[in-house]
Amino acid sequence: MLAKAISPDNQRVTLRDPAWVRWSVMALALGFLALFVLLPLATVFVEALRRGLGPYFDALAKPDALSAIRLTLLVAGIAVPVNLVFGVVAAWTVTKFEFPGKSLLITLIDLPFSVSPVISGMVYVLLFGLHGWFGPWLRAHDLQIVFAVPGLVLATMFVTFPFVARELIPLMQAQGTDEEEAAASLGAGGWQIFWYVTLPNIRWGLLYGVLLCNARAMGEFGAVSVVSGHVRGLTNTMPLHVEILYNEYNFVAAFAVASLLAMLALVTLAAKSALEWRWGDALSGRGH
Amino acid sequence: MTIVISQITKRFGSFLALDTVDLRVESGELLALLGPSGSGKTTLLRILGGLDRADAGNISFFGEEAQGMAPRDRQVGFVFQHYSLFRHMTVFDNVGFGLKVRPRKERLEQSEIAERVMRLLELVQLAPLAHRYPAQLSGGQRQRVALARALAIEPKVLLLDEPFGALDAKVRKELRRWLRRLHEEMHITSVFVTHDQEEALELADRVVVMNSGRIEQVGTPAEVYEHPASPFVYDFLGNVNRFACTVDKGEIRLDGPGLTLPSSGGDTGRAVAFVRPHDVELTRLEDGAGEQPRARIRHIFAIGPTARVELDLNGHALEAVMDKSRFNGLGLRRGDWCGVRLVSPQLFSDGEVAGSGI
Repeated sequence: MLAKAISPDNQRVTLRDPAWVRWSVMALALGFLALFVLLPLATVFVEALRRGLGPYFDALAKPDALSAIRLTLLVAGIAVPVNLVFGVVAAWTVTKFEFPGKSLLITLIDLPFSVSPVISGMVYVLLFGLHGWFGPWLRAHDLQIVFAVPGLVLATMFVTFPFVARELIPLMQAQGTDEEEAAASLGAGGWQIFWYVTLPNIRWGLLYGVLLCNARAMGEFGAVSVVSGHVRGLTNTMPLHVEILYNEYNFVAAFAVASLLAMLALVTLAAKSALEWRWGDALSGRGH
Repeated sequence: MTIVISQITKRFGSFLALDTVDLRVESGELLALLGPSGSGKTTLLRILGGLDRADAGNISFFGEEAQGMAPRDRQVGFVFQHYSLFRHMTVFDNVGFGLKVRPRKERLEQSEIAERVMRLLELVQLAPLAHRYPAQLSGGQRQRVALARALAIEPKVLLLDEPFGALDAKVRKELRRWLRRLHEEMHITSVFVTHDQEEALELADRVVVMNSGRIEQVGTPAEVYEHPASPFVYDFLGNVNRFACTVDKGEIRLDGPGLTLPSSGGDTGRAVAFVRPHDVELTRLEDGAGEQPRARIRHIFAIGPTARVELDLNGHALEAVMDKSRFNGLGLRRGDWCGVRLVSPQLFSDGEVAGSGI
C-alpha cells in the first residue's frame, strides 16, 4: 500500500515535486545510507580480508579468539533463554492481570534501555565487587561474580531484558484475554491455556524479540566491559576481544572477529525481515 | 436438574453490577436474560459460567454448590459474544479443543474425538470448512463454530452471550430459528443474554427482564409483554406512548393532551399512563362527531403489512400501529385530522416510575 501511495502514477498533484527535487532527495538519502552504514560494514570485511583468507582464519583460530567466541556463545546461551522466560512472564503479568503498581512495572521494564550500559555494569561491581555490598559475603563463600562469567551473564541479562517483554506486551495487549477465557470455559488448565492458546498466538513476536535479544546479548560492550576485568582467554567476549586486538594494532585479527559480529547482525536482520513477513500474516489470523 | 441463583451480588469498583439477584433456571428450558447495557445480564451469565466470581450469594448447579467451582467442573458450554475462536487453530481443532484438554484418564481416543468433532460440524453445517481458519469464515459461520465448540464438551448447561449481536439482520433471523430448533432437539438447559426484546420474546421459553443490577420480571414472553410488572418492563418491551396524568374518581386525566379516559382501578393520585401503539385506535372524523379527541397525522410509514402513524395530539407526539388494510380503509392522509381512542392504558404511580430508572 505504501509503495502504491508513493509511486509517481498515484501521486496527488500537490505531492508531485519537480524531478530534480525528487532525484536529489533520493540521492541524499542513499548517499547518507552508503556513507554511514554500508561503508563501515564493507570496511569490516575489507580490512578483515586484507591479507587474504589464510590470515583471516588464522586470526579466528587463535586460542584467545576461540575463547572469546565460546564465552560470547555461553553468555548469550544463558542470558537469552532466561530473558525469554522472564520476558514472557513479565508480558503475561502485565497484560493478563490487573494489579496496583502495574504502570510502574511497565516503566521499570524499560529501565535497561534508558540507562547507560556502563552504569548498569558499575551497579554490579558495586553490588558484587570485592568492596561491594555483597562482596565480603561472596568472598567468604569463595564465590566470584564480578570479573568472572556470572558477572558477564548478569550484566548481559540486565541490558537485554526489555527486548522480549517489550515485543510481547503490545502484541498481547492487542490480543486481549478472550481466547484464554474461552479455553478456560472449555476446561483447559492454566498450563494448557498457555501452551495451546497463548504461546501459538505470540510465537512470531516472541521469536522476533529473542532474535533482537540475542543480537544485543552477543554485541553488548559497555556493561560487559565494566564487569569483565578483561582477562584474556577467560573473561573477554567477542566485542571486548575486538577492542583489545585493535588497541594492539592487530587490525586483521580485530576485523576478523568483528566480521563475525557483523555477520551475526546481517543474519539477524534477514531473519527479522523474514519474520516480519510471516508475522503480518499471523496477526491477520491465518499464519501457517 | 435446575440452577438456583440466590442473593448474588457483584460490584466493579463502586458500580453495583448485580444487586442480590435470585433466579431459578429450570432443567431443559431456554431462558433469556433481557435488558439494556449495564443491566447486569452479562455479568450474571459470566458468574454462571464461572468466568467471574460473585462478591456474595450462592449458585447451585443441580443441587451442588458451584461458587468457587472451576469452569471445567461445572460442565458449562459458553458461547462468547465475539466468538473468541482460537485464531491459530482450524475449525476442526477449535471444536475439538475441549476434548483435547481433558485430563488423560477422561480423554477420548484421537479417532473418537475426530468422529465427535465431525458429527458436530455436520450438525452446524460446517463440515466442508473443517480445515479453514476462523479468519476465513463469515460472522454467521464463526458463530456456529463457537456453538459447536461449546457443545463438544457435552455441557449440561449452554450459556450464550449476545449470540447474534454481531450479525446482520438476515443471518441473525436464520440463526435464531436454527438455535430454537437445536434446543428443541437437544433439550439442553440454555441461558442467553440479549438486549433485543424481539429476540428474547421470539426465542425464549421464559424471559428475565433486568434493569440496573436487579431482576424486574420473570415470565413467559406472553406474560412479560401483556402483563408487565413494572414501568421499566413496559417501556423496554416494545414501543410505547407515555403520558403523565392524574387519576381521580375513576377517571384518568392526561396532563398534556388534556384528555380524559375511564379508569378501572381505584387508585388515585399522580401517575404515568402507558399505551402501546397498537392500542391507539384511529377513526375518521365525521361531521358533528362531537366531543371526540382529535389528532393530526404528521407522518405515515406503511411498508409491509402494518401501518405506523405518527400523530400530533394537542402538541404531544403519539404513535399508532395497525393493519395496513385497516388503515387504508380509513382513507387518511398526512396532514388530516382524525379521531383518537386510547384503549387499555396501563397505569403506574409516579413512585413506581421514579424507582424504575426510566
